[in-house]
Amino acid sequence: MKKRKKTESLSPFDLFRQSLSEGERAALCAFFNEFDTHCLLPRSEKERLKTDFESALLRYKELNVDLQTAVERLDIANLGGFYSRPPILWYALDDAAKIYPLSMRRGQMAVFRLSVYFYEDVVPELLQMALTFTMKRFPSFATTVKRGFFWHYLDTSKRRFAIEPDSGLPCRALKIARSGSQSFRVMYYKNRVSVEFFHILTDGVGGMIFLKTLAAEYLRLCGYPASPAEGVLDVGGQPTPEEAENGFKFSERTYKASGFVDRPALQMSGKLSRSKPYRVLHFKMDAERLKSAAKGMNATVTAYVLAQIFLAGRFATDELNGDMNIQVPVNMRKFYPSQTLRNFSLYCGVRLPVQDITSAAEIVPEIARQLSQKATKDAMSEMMKGAQGLVNAVRYVPLFIKAPIARLVYGFLGDKIFSTTLSNLGVVNMPEELAGHIESMDFTLGTALSNRASCSMVTYGNIATLSIAKMTADPSFEERLFELLAKDGVEAEVEGSAPDES
Amino acid sequence: MKVKLSYPLPEKRTQHWNRLVSALNWAFLFTAYICPIVNLTTGGKAWSVVVLWSLWILRSNVVAPALVEYNRISQFIKFIVHACVLLILIDVFLSPGWAVEVVPIVCFSGLIIAGFLFFTNLQRQKQNMFPMLGLIAVSLGCTIVGLIVWREERLWSLVVMGALAFALLAGCVCVLGLDFLRELKKRFHVK
Repeated sequence: MKKRKKTESLSPFDLFRQSLSEGERAALCAFFNEFDTHCLLPRSEKERLKTDFESALLRYKELNVDLQTAVERLDIANLGGFYSRPPILWYALDDAAKIYPLSMRRGQMAVFRLSVYFYEDVVPELLQMALTFTMKRFPSFATTVKRGFFWHYLDTSKRRFAIEPDSGLPCRALKIARSGSQSFRVMYYKNRVSVEFFHILTDGVGGMIFLKTLAAEYLRLCGYPASPAEGVLDVGGQPTPEEAENGFKFSERTYKASGFVDRPALQMSGKLSRSKPYRVLHFKMDAERLKSAAKGMNATVTAYVLAQIFLAGRFATDELNGDMNIQVPVNMRKFYPSQTLRNFSLYCGVRLPVQDITSAAEIVPEIARQLSQKATKDAMSEMMKGAQGLVNAVRYVPLFIKAPIARLVYGFLGDKIFSTTLSNLGVVNMPEELAGHIESMDFTLGTALSNRASCSMVTYGNIATLSIAKMTADPSFEERLFELLAKDGVEAEVEGSAPDES
Repeated sequence: MKVKLSYPLPEKRTQHWNRLVSALNWAFLFTAYICPIVNLTTGGKAWSVVVLWSLWILRSNVVAPALVEYNRISQFIKFIVHACVLLILIDVFLSPGWAVEVVPIVCFSGLIIAGFLFFTNLQRQKQNMFPMLGLIAVSLGCTIVGLIVWREERLWSLVVMGALAFALLAGCVCVLGLDFLRELKKRFHVK
């Protein structure tokens, strides 16, 4: 009777341990002894981390992976010294990130989402371990937002960074107020792993490096090792100072500063939804067809998609006069030799009078001309100089004065100078050994203030995914875009979230 | 256009809290507008200043709490500072003569509790030290000014406040050592 009671109170891991041979038990004991030397987190965090290891070992057993292989994959050395050293690092925000904590409001902050779709369903226990092992390679992500006297900053947070099941709205605001709270979240749903970042941490390029490294580490734990390549970082490698640098330091004296202010652009019609975003849609397209449709108009894929967005945008507005202006983020790493994982992108605007938006063939040359003129090193460097000048001008103004003014100005101007955004991350590759395990990727921009839609795009393999984050229930924009693409022979499979009516 | 759902259905969230916040914001705005008018019309003491500050306390603590650094020390210090300002306003506009003794008592009680919150969870709270340092600095400053202005009256509460603030500062420096300087460097950076 007593014995039965004792067995009932044993955890699944205790039962697993009992089922092992003497030698295996000794190996497991040595494994957890080593864990104790590598993890000096507070007791509650340490217990959680230990439970993660136990859950992963149990999962390996279910997957018929022998203990020795499991222990090799989960080698404690993968923790490095990250969880055993006190938090001493801190990071000043880069010049682009400084506006994000100043402009955020309750339930509304600059969040973007990157997802990878595997061919098989995600094993949460292994994903958790992959995140635990990956974090040490991205110390600037293992941080929490803090308020300084003059600026916000990122303070290192040593803790167990947890994954969570995907639920609720994509790109919803993160809770960053509590002590040690993280500025990103890793989620899983069926065969998808998504990471949502507060823009204060990184931009799309840095976020994609994190996602690719996390995916590669996850696949290694699943038994598919690969050498670091194609932007996947070696999780065992040493983080470099260049990865955490403020890319805006490259700003050259020779450039004159340009401003950010422009005249307001037309907005698509439709009442702004209470929940932000109202819905997220992914147009999954054949990349080759998309490329040939663009080639048919002598345009790049970005210029072609921009043309279709202009046409769909025109259809979605009741306004008859004014300009439509689409914001196109530009990766500054193209122009400056930076390895930073922080924000290092600026933007240009492609502007067309609404009367001139008639057909793709007619507007593509003008879009291409504007892109080649505005997305150049010179134009972007002038903007970078302007951003730096603005930051320098207010650097000695205390935050309690700056913050309300910035909020007021941002609330007044906000994103009104743009009708929508198209952020194209381009073609993403994975190391050859892993490419076959990944089906596709997507990239979703979070909420805007007054724009009714934000568009973003990424291509993996032969799938180009155009994502639209909607801020209104009015479906005319996406329906028109779907028709326009189909008319050019680019049939899209549309996936997405259910409208949020709450 | 057919959309295949590839996300879990969002939970039905009630918007009660959001609606309540919205309603409260309008109520605050209306009260803040109407109180000074009524006060000016009816004359008498400037009670509307106290009402306005009380509304601000309520709003910033309940309706719109901090979006960054919402922790036990920062919230407690915020409450103490708000309370002290409220006491001073009541003293100045409604019933004068007692705040100079009471406010330091509130302040040093606040310092004791903040010190307790800080030192009982040092590892975690050392990243949250800044608001407490703010209160220490204000307390020390007020003690010096108070002792000069009211040097005839020998206010014990001011002396206790200053002594406690200094002791807490010294405690922080001794316990944290280099971390203390590192914390100051982070908090006052202009990069």
